[in-house]
Amino acid sequence: MRIRAAVSATLASAGILLAGWQSGAHVAGTASAAGSTAGTTGIAGGSVSSGSAGSAGSAGSAGSAGSAGAAGSAAKAGGTFVGDVVQTRFGPVQVQITVSGGTISDVTALQLTDDGGRSVQISNYAAPLLRAEVLQAQSANVQTIGGATVTSDAYLTSLQAALDAAHL
Amino acid sequence: MNTTSRTALRPQPRQAPAAANPYAGQHRRRLLRADLLTVVAWASVAAAVALWLADGGASGFATAAGAFTAAGIVAGLAGMDLVLLMLLLAARLPVIDATVGHDRALQFHRKLGKPSLYLLLAHGVLLAIGYGLAEGLNPVSEAVSLWVLVPDMWLAFVSLALFVAVVVTSLAAVRRRFPYEFWYGVHLLTYAAVLTSLPHQFSVGGLFAAGTWQRWYWLAACIATGAALLHYRVLEPLVATFRHGLRVSRVVAAGHCAVSIEMTGRHVDELAGSGGRFFIWRFLTPGQWWHPHPFSLSAEPVQMDADGGGRLRITVRNLGRGSASLARLRTGTRVAVEGPYGVFSTAARSRRHVVMVGAGIGITPIRALLERTPFAPGDATVILRGHDSSGLYLADEILDLCQRRGAALFHLTGRRPPGVDTWQPEAEARAGYRLASYAPRLADADVYVCGPAGWARNVLDDARRAGVREEQLHYERFDW
Repeated sequence: MRIRAAVSATLASAGILLAGWQSGAHVAGTASAAGSTAGTTGIAGGSVSSGSAGSAGSAGSAGSAGSAGAAGSAAKAGGTFVGDVVQTRFGPVQVQITVSGGTISDVTALQLTDDGGRSVQISNYAAPLLRAEVLQAQSANVQTIGGATVTSDAYLTSLQAALDAAHL
Repeated sequence: MNTTSRTALRPQPRQAPAAANPYAGQHRRRLLRADLLTVVAWASVAAAVALWLADGGASGFATAAGAFTAAGIVAGLAGMDLVLLMLLLAARLPVIDATVGHDRALQFHRKLGKPSLYLLLAHGVLLAIGYGLAEGLNPVSEAVSLWVLVPDMWLAFVSLALFVAVVVTSLAAVRRRFPYEFWYGVHLLTYAAVLTSLPHQFSVGGLFAAGTWQRWYWLAACIATGAALLHYRVLEPLVATFRHGLRVSRVVAAGHCAVSIEMTGRHVDELAGSGGRFFIWRFLTPGQWWHPHPFSLSAEPVQMDADGGGRLRITVRNLGRGSASLARLRTGTRVAVEGPYGVFSTAARSRRHVVMVGAGIGITPIRALLERTPFAPGDATVILRGHDSSGLYLADEILDLCQRRGAALFHLTGRRPPGVDTWQPEAEARAGYRLASYAPRLADADVYVCGPAGWARNVLDDARRAGVREEQLHYERFDW
């Protein structure tokens, strides 16, 4: 009878684990599709943001938000530009840039991953670093922050949208 | 009537009914329940991990930091699941109690203690390493930063310290050094440990984030466990205590160092039929109310009026300090009662034949079982063991019951032979008697054993050597 218990327990556990694993793979697949949603400005790389949000804490994927403003023509005036809201599994991320004289003079995070205290901790640690990098590089083409991949990717994606809006 | 018509139809000699085992069905169902409980317990651990996998947790293993973090999360989830299982095993759930018995449930509870602590410790260490790697901090500074910066995390550290304290004081070697009350007091901290661990799970962990069904699953598991504890360990005992309103009516000497405590109360008929199952008694005097005593009834309750008002009795030996003061109980003392618990009763029967072996004060549940459990004349054997005849508690009543019900009775008195591991007195052991010498049908009988742990182990070994299978052995610990 002990054998019966052991066998059924093993089978049941294996089945449950398999089901969990399968639906986990499924979740990772759909997450990328449901990655970004519309922001304030209409443009923005839905495809770019989706790729980064889908990676869900895995591999570094530094340059995913590449493309660096470049081709931007006129509108070198000043002002503030708000990026898209990028949804992540830890909460929405949205940044705003202040442009003066054709350069980024400030980056402010309007929303940061805040789902759970651990996310807040990551956000608080990653946001100043990202801001400093962006101000130095004057683009979204910067390294993601280790341990804060999801936050970084979303941050840079939203930033890119804001840069596009500013035609930088 | 049914029987007569059948015998008329089939004129064979009626040996079939006599050979049939009326307990086969009950036994099969109990084994099935035990297996189901085992499966549920293992499946719950698997479910804890599966829920994490379903959240895409496995992708974390891509990097070193992610792998440490993932392993830490899994350890925490499995550890939490084991802690909930431990609480349920100690919650006196009727289904667990009726399937494996109270003491086996607590045995599993103890077995899970160390694994769950190791998992929780691994949870903390692995996450400190994993988060530390990701942020370029060493694990110690990461732990400090978690403590300082993340809300609710300091509670998690407190919780871990409490879990360590609870498990360490429960290690056999440590537990022996301290009085029961100390261990009990520290053990109550388990509730504090679980409660302080909850906030960080739901506020810090991304897995239990609001809106996920993982959050609902764990919330439900925690609430169900808490409700079970509250219901079966607090509410039911309170209700039973008020319903029966028991008071001590008489304390009389009952052999060597033992007293019988008689109580009167209401609805005692509801407490009847417990066989050798035990109740937990608390005598509500200023110095004793918090001290639980596990004793079985030493006689079936006697109902005195139509409303179920009546008398019941327990027989107690001066074992510890607590039991000693029971001899001085005043008449009229209120008694709180919970139970009955355990499967030292007809519910555990698997065979037609029954052998009951009791030593010292362990004889009292044997007497209750003998009075109650069904057997045909000639199918039961009772063996009583004591240092001398004054240690054969309730011997007169047991003799009377054996005569009335047709059970064979043996009195074994005298010292053990020095240096020999046997449950019998010197003369019988030297004569080469075995358990089977007293009960020839032993291999096809249920064997109920109650007495001191070392002695009982010898009886059980003797029975196993005679071919008695594990599921036929029924042994209740009385000395925890």
